[in-house]
Amino acid sequence: MERTALAVCEILRYLIIHWRCETETSNGALLEGQLVISIEALNSKHQPNALHCVTTIASVRSICGGLVLKKFLKEIQSILRGFSAKLICTSEENSCFPGTSGVTPFQITFEINEKPRGLMIDCLVIKQFLHKIIIVHHKIRFTLSVKVNGFLSTEIFGMENEPTLNLSNGITIVVNCQHYVSRLKFSTAESHCSRIHPVLGHPVTLLIPEDVAGMDLLGNLIMTPAAALCPSPKVFSSQLSRISSVSIFLYGPSGLPLILSNEDQLSTTVFKDTFYFIDWKKYHLCVVPNLDLNLDKDLVLPDVSYQVESSERGQSQIMHLQGQTLLLFLFVDFHSGFPVQQMEIWGVHTLLTAHLSAILTESHTVIQDSIHFTLDQILEERDQAAKAHQKLQASLSVAVSSIMSVVTGSTSGSFRKTCLQALQAADTQEFGTKLHKIFCDITQHRFLHHCSSNMKQLIPEKNNSAQSTEDAHESGSPELLAEISRQAQRKRPKSDSFCHGQEETLAFMTSHRAEPHDASLTPREEEARTVHDRAPAPERASSGSGLEDALWLQEVSNLSEWLSPGSGS
Amino acid sequence: MAFAPMGAKASFFEVLDRHRASLLAALSRGGQEPPVQRTRTASSSEVLASIENIIQDIVTSLARNEAPAFIIDNRSSWENIKFEDTVGLQMVSHCTTRKIKSDSPKSVQKFALILKILSMIYKLVQSNTYATKRDIYYTDSQLFGNQTVVDNIIDDISCMLKVPRRSLHILSTSKGLIAGDLRYTEEDGTRVNCTCGASAIAVPSNIQGIQNLITDAKFLLIVEKDATFQRLLDDSFCDKMSPCIMVTGKGIPDLNTRLLVKKLWDLFHIPVFTLVDADPHGIEIMCIYKYGSMSMSFEAHNLTVPAVRWLGLLPSDIKRLNIPKDSLIPLTRRDQMKLDSILKRPYVTCQPFWRKEMEMMADSRMKAEIQALTTLSSDYLSRVYLPNKLKFGGWI
Repeated sequence: MERTALAVCEILRYLIIHWRCETETSNGALLEGQLVISIEALNSKHQPNALHCVTTIASVRSICGGLVLKKFLKEIQSILRGFSAKLICTSEENSCFPGTSGVTPFQITFEINEKPRGLMIDCLVIKQFLHKIIIVHHKIRFTLSVKVNGFLSTEIFGMENEPTLNLSNGITIVVNCQHYVSRLKFSTAESHCSRIHPVLGHPVTLLIPEDVAGMDLLGNLIMTPAAALCPSPKVFSSQLSRISSVSIFLYGPSGLPLILSNEDQLSTTVFKDTFYFIDWKKYHLCVVPNLDLNLDKDLVLPDVSYQVESSERGQSQIMHLQGQTLLLFLFVDFHSGFPVQQMEIWGVHTLLTAHLSAILTESHTVIQDSIHFTLDQILEERDQAAKAHQKLQASLSVAVSSIMSVVTGSTSGSFRKTCLQALQAADTQEFGTKLHKIFCDITQHRFLHHCSSNMKQLIPEKNNSAQSTEDAHESGSPELLAEISRQAQRKRPKSDSFCHGQEETLAFMTSHRAEPHDASLTPREEEARTVHDRAPAPERASSGSGLEDALWLQEVSNLSEWLSPGSGS
Repeated sequence: MAFAPMGAKASFFEVLDRHRASLLAALSRGGQEPPVQRTRTASSSEVLASIENIIQDIVTSLARNEAPAFIIDNRSSWENIKFEDTVGLQMVSHCTTRKIKSDSPKSVQKFALILKILSMIYKLVQSNTYATKRDIYYTDSQLFGNQTVVDNIIDDISCMLKVPRRSLHILSTSKGLIAGDLRYTEEDGTRVNCTCGASAIAVPSNIQGIQNLITDAKFLLIVEKDATFQRLLDDSFCDKMSPCIMVTGKGIPDLNTRLLVKKLWDLFHIPVFTLVDADPHGIEIMCIYKYGSMSMSFEAHNLTVPAVRWLGLLPSDIKRLNIPKDSLIPLTRRDQMKLDSILKRPYVTCQPFWRKEMEMMADSRMKAEIQALTTLSSDYLSRVYLPNKLKFGGWI
């Protein structure tokens, strides 16, 4: 992995671990704050075809109270082997010492030279890392600013207003579906539940191989799996009755991602074994590694991804888009009988990062058993949902055919005419078709309302959070149904141009669609806007690099387009 | 020891005749409110129109994008039932209801089944054919699941449309038997004579359609169990106590048996007596004939015979006749719960003698079948017990 991304990620890890320990955050309480990562790159004067990058990580509000600078730098350098850049730590008062009140902003800077493509990949890696962090630490907001030869791109990562779920292991996870699966899975023709409903498995103690060198842990590594199907199995749709893909996310202590890059992923040998986590034969599924990395940029990329093979050739792409994605979150935490120190957590992260494959191999049986147990619960729920769906479809079919039997068999002209006119049908065939459709629409709408509390928040006139979902539904109308369908679709961030010459980092609210997890209504926040300053900067490089700048500009404009097969180098 | 020769003498029935006179006097006194008739016989076209109205309402709801629902009276809820001693248990005018919604996961299946059976009724009425509830169930047993589901839905429809089941062209399967001094003509013209022979006649399935009923019976004896009924047949009870009529519903009576008893009372006003086991189950069966059942309370006026009297086996008879204790059976926990339940019912309040008998049973914690009388002698029931009871007014 490129050096900038590695450095940024490890520094963020360290800071968050420190932050968590210093604030004495207990289980359930969330870290809340803001961090800014800015990368300013200019053509290197000393190296051809390279960019001189100055990377700064700053906290708007200090999180470094109690941070021992020397120790911090020493620990970071030990992780970043071969990282020659000097880390400069500054604060508003140009110092950061133990005992500081902690209200002064904190900043760490380093400078390195990078190839443009390397920097590009760095930014993607950092972005994914941030996205994975805020899935768990949804009250931390990150601002990532990348400025290359004057062209600025800023993106804000924050999920403060997203619906979340507190898992009983102390982890809080964002449950909005659209972070995990492509919106292509959500057909516009069908309503869906926009939340995942994770099921927590039982924790297992990981075994550490004897030959793994490392710290003597005065505690245990505990892995807790959580699984969910996305979209939710509570959606009544026959298209969602099969699993088409699997996404696995690994988190270490303090809710931080374990895997930083494709390199890490590829070096973890257990990931190559599709049967490591789950014995797919038990579930009559055949999976292959998913090589399709062309995903929507708003998605959290999994650490491990599999695709379920269809029995029909050529159908795999279609199946991938239809069907459900099995999401598997593996949370590894450290537990001891004593209050856990920061260095212990840092050490555990280091251990896991260095020996993940070995530890997972040693603990294969217990991990797989725990995952299977969790999966069984999920699939049982899915089977029940499928049966309920079948029951519903059968009932609707019986209702429609019964009504048709009376209407078509009636000798009363006025009765037949009234029925046909009510549904604006020209004949009984059309009447039957419309009857079935209306029944389906109404029941889908209602059953979806049972599924989640989203519906309450989408009714603009109703501000009373105490109103029941029954009442909310009973006021349903075609207009409401249309509104719900519209709001259920993920809007892509828009890009705006700004005034010529503006180079400052501009922070905009990244509002993934506001869906607070309590019942009260909140006004919808503005949509995320990624700002691109397309105006040429005054200090733009000479014309010799004009082509490269133009290419860079195009690539910066949409980071997700960089994700393509083979971009792991 | 009273012994009635073949064909009882006229003097034998003096007490019975006086009893009948008092019943007729009570009827003619009248003055009470007419029973609430929740159902009335409807013509085929009326039934078809009712069903079409329901379908039209559903389609109109759908056109408004509203989920349609059925509003069903809570037939089996005590809060919707009142007691009138002239009628028995009947539904109140404004009763609570429940909604069977089409958009609720819990009720969508029932909603569909109600529509299904409505459409089947529509076809039956339109084609002027008839089917039993069992036939309905077997048209798609997998869909319906079990017979009880079908039975309940049909009763719900009957209550919803306010027509008796017969008007829906759904027949109940008769299991009852009848014997004695009764002749009638069935709907298809068949003449039936129930005069006692070796076997009894099955209660017809179309009570509404039977005509030209003729009887000179002095009383109608309702027998709880088929075993007892057969024993009386074997003992030629109907001949010995002639003229009389015997009916059995073979346990909990079916609708047709109840309809027949009601019809006989309405036409002839002859005293009606029950012969049941001295146990809570028997008492409950007797109450069904007399006061009706909760589930069919919406049709009480067609089914109940409040004039029914308890002839035997009375708990007090057990003591009076010195029936050996080893032929008695201890009340089970279920018996005790049922007895407690009956004692709390509204109609027991106006039956102090019944209450006393039930309290006697509760205190002794013992029950007895009619067959316990065989310990006295094998034909004690038909030769001594019943004749004595009938001659000397041993009913309550």
